[in-house]
Amino acid sequence: MAIDCEDQELLEGFLAETTELLEKLDDDLITLEKSPDDAELMNRIFRSIHTVKGASSFLGFDMLVKVTHKTEDVLNRLRKGELFLNPEIMDVILEAVDLVKTLVADIKGGDIVERDLEGTISKLIPFLSENATEATVLAPTSAPKEEKVATPPSPPEPAADAAAKAAGEKESAPADTGAPKAAAAAPATQPKPQPVKEPQKPAPKGEELADNSTVRVDVKRLDDLMNQVGELVLERNRMIQLHSDYQTGLDPTGFGDDFGKLSKRLNFVTSELQMQVLKMRMLPVEKVFKKFPRIVRNLARDLGKEVDLVIIGEETELDRSVVDEIGDPLIHLIRNALDHGLETPDQRLASGKDRTGTVVLSAAHEGNQIVISIKDDGRGIDPERISKKALEKGLVTEEQLASMGNREILDLLFLPGFSTKEQTTDLSGRGVGMDVVRTNIRKLNGIIEIKNDVGHGTEFTLKLPLTLAIIQSLLVEVEKEVYSIPLASVIETMRVSKNEFHMIGGQEVLKLRDSVLPLLRLQQTFSCQEVYTDRDTCYVVIVGVAEKRIGLIVTRLLGQQEVAIKSLGKFLANLPGIGGSTIMGDGRVALIVDPIGLIGGGAA
Amino acid sequence: METALTKVKSEEYGGELIQLVSFNLEKEEYGINVLMVREIIRMLNITRVPNTPHYVEGVINLRGKVIPIINLRKKFDLVDSEYDKRTRIMVMEVVGELMGFIVDEVSEVIRISEKEIQPPPPAVSSGIEQECMAGVINQADRLLVLLDLERMFSADERRLFSNVG
Repeated sequence: MAIDCEDQELLEGFLAETTELLEKLDDDLITLEKSPDDAELMNRIFRSIHTVKGASSFLGFDMLVKVTHKTEDVLNRLRKGELFLNPEIMDVILEAVDLVKTLVADIKGGDIVERDLEGTISKLIPFLSENATEATVLAPTSAPKEEKVATPPSPPEPAADAAAKAAGEKESAPADTGAPKAAAAAPATQPKPQPVKEPQKPAPKGEELADNSTVRVDVKRLDDLMNQVGELVLERNRMIQLHSDYQTGLDPTGFGDDFGKLSKRLNFVTSELQMQVLKMRMLPVEKVFKKFPRIVRNLARDLGKEVDLVIIGEETELDRSVVDEIGDPLIHLIRNALDHGLETPDQRLASGKDRTGTVVLSAAHEGNQIVISIKDDGRGIDPERISKKALEKGLVTEEQLASMGNREILDLLFLPGFSTKEQTTDLSGRGVGMDVVRTNIRKLNGIIEIKNDVGHGTEFTLKLPLTLAIIQSLLVEVEKEVYSIPLASVIETMRVSKNEFHMIGGQEVLKLRDSVLPLLRLQQTFSCQEVYTDRDTCYVVIVGVAEKRIGLIVTRLLGQQEVAIKSLGKFLANLPGIGGSTIMGDGRVALIVDPIGLIGGGAA
Repeated sequence: METALTKVKSEEYGGELIQLVSFNLEKEEYGINVLMVREIIRMLNITRVPNTPHYVEGVINLRGKVIPIINLRKKFDLVDSEYDKRTRIMVMEVVGELMGFIVDEVSEVIRISEKEIQPPPPAVSSGIEQECMAGVINQADRLLVLLDLERMFSADERRLFSNVG
């Protein structure tokens, strides 16, 4: 069924608002479970769901109204203290919220699909009966059954039962006026769930609900930006004026001076502007973090573990492009922490720890980087077990293993296909998780570090660049061609005379202090035409990726510059050693060297 | 159904009109649908990109966007020549990406009716040029080769393009 809504703008507004409310709702609900006495929080949750209900009934989304209405009723009873929050109720409420998200996603997708509402609603209904204690007993019996069987054969009875009770006590409970009505509706529509078995559209995940195509920007930031643009316009006018003065020959003597001043001011204004725009692209990492409490709660329940998730530094801001990419790796790492890291409550007690395990998720700025760490106080990673598994899976040989240190053994975790789980569950065990983490972090030019303390926990630290759009780079010349090397990977530069190079096994090397540095002639790698044949000195730029170092031979260094990265388009993607391009002051394009590609490629 | 419709049209208007940009390469005249062409610019400074096929001349900065430049002479295995003041870069959108093509000279936009397009002659030589030939237009005093550049970047080649090196 397509959506028939005259006012597209209204619909868009509704979607934006609802999405935002729902995103917050998850978080609030989890917090509520921890502090059920927080009346303020309770009211906020109630208001959110009420707003969603109101808006959807206004726009005529009947299915949404049905679900939100019931959820609201249950919340209302909680709010009034007629019902006490327990994990069962929370499970049902969360399920209802998930259903609401699915429905909203359908509306957003422009296509309303008939979905099985009764399953969820019939779980909500028991909690609407006056004797809530009985309801909470009923609920868990009906709920799990339903999750396994697609069609709910049994729920009608308890639901109707409870509903009848609720109806009977109508006079004594004027508060829940919604309940009797709903109860009457529920049995009437009961036969419906049967045909629901037909192929349904797969329900989109809740996280996809989040809209990434629009940004909300602080009005103050926008005002600042406007100011900067105003100044830029002034400088431009000044420039035009200067040029016309110069052309008419008004004051040719002062031109140089004036122009110098102008370019200084222009420089200042544009760098301010750049900062402002960059700031606007920044999002608090909270955007990613806020879905974790819910994930952790569900996982912990599934695994039968007790977990305390501590989130630190969620206000830390980073670039949108980075925010979008770190979600997946973080989910994998958190799953691993819960599944592999933390022990069950009994094991924890046996090893003299608290019953409840702690997972600390923190984010902080560190210089030009953002550091995200996931730390658990579980059993840590046992290198013995890792090496055994890697050997079993045929990922390494005995000899390779023998020469590995503890660090290298931990790195085996990242190999595709690695898993210590005997059995694949829907949680983990497929051996893709850590590979995903590594791939995504690499894509972001980030670094992963593992701190492992066997018996006491593991900490994964991700170090990511703040933004991917603009980088500091070292401009170098290779036989009259200009290349840009990301400064982040440059360790040092030096001027060397050609007779200091040595050959070892066909590889040019340089003796650098007490180590031997392999060299790479960029002129050869990039097959540039040799222009300078008579020079006997050149420059070596030493770059490093992880623990590897290599010296790049260039003709001369041109200086350091902040450059905006431009993609080369999909036809020229994946060129070995080239990571992208940038536009220079004179409008020409300079290619950006990709040190990972150079070191990884057979040349080194 | 569709063919019937086209017939009626062609009777009324003498065939559907299409507009072609005509350009020269080694004294031969070629045509490309005008809707494919984004803009035509003069030669700019081209930055060479290492480890690409020989016909990829490099990249240019087109108002802040970096786009690859292909030398059609090299692509069609014609004799290489110096750029002169008539050399142009035709910027086109090919399979969703902007690309520039270097040609000797861009002459004009011509209107032809669809029925003037004849199928390409049976392959004399099976070169790349032959592959992306969509048809031949035979007018009184001229012979135009209609090119389909989408075809030039066959899936196979696109893969090669990105992995050469």
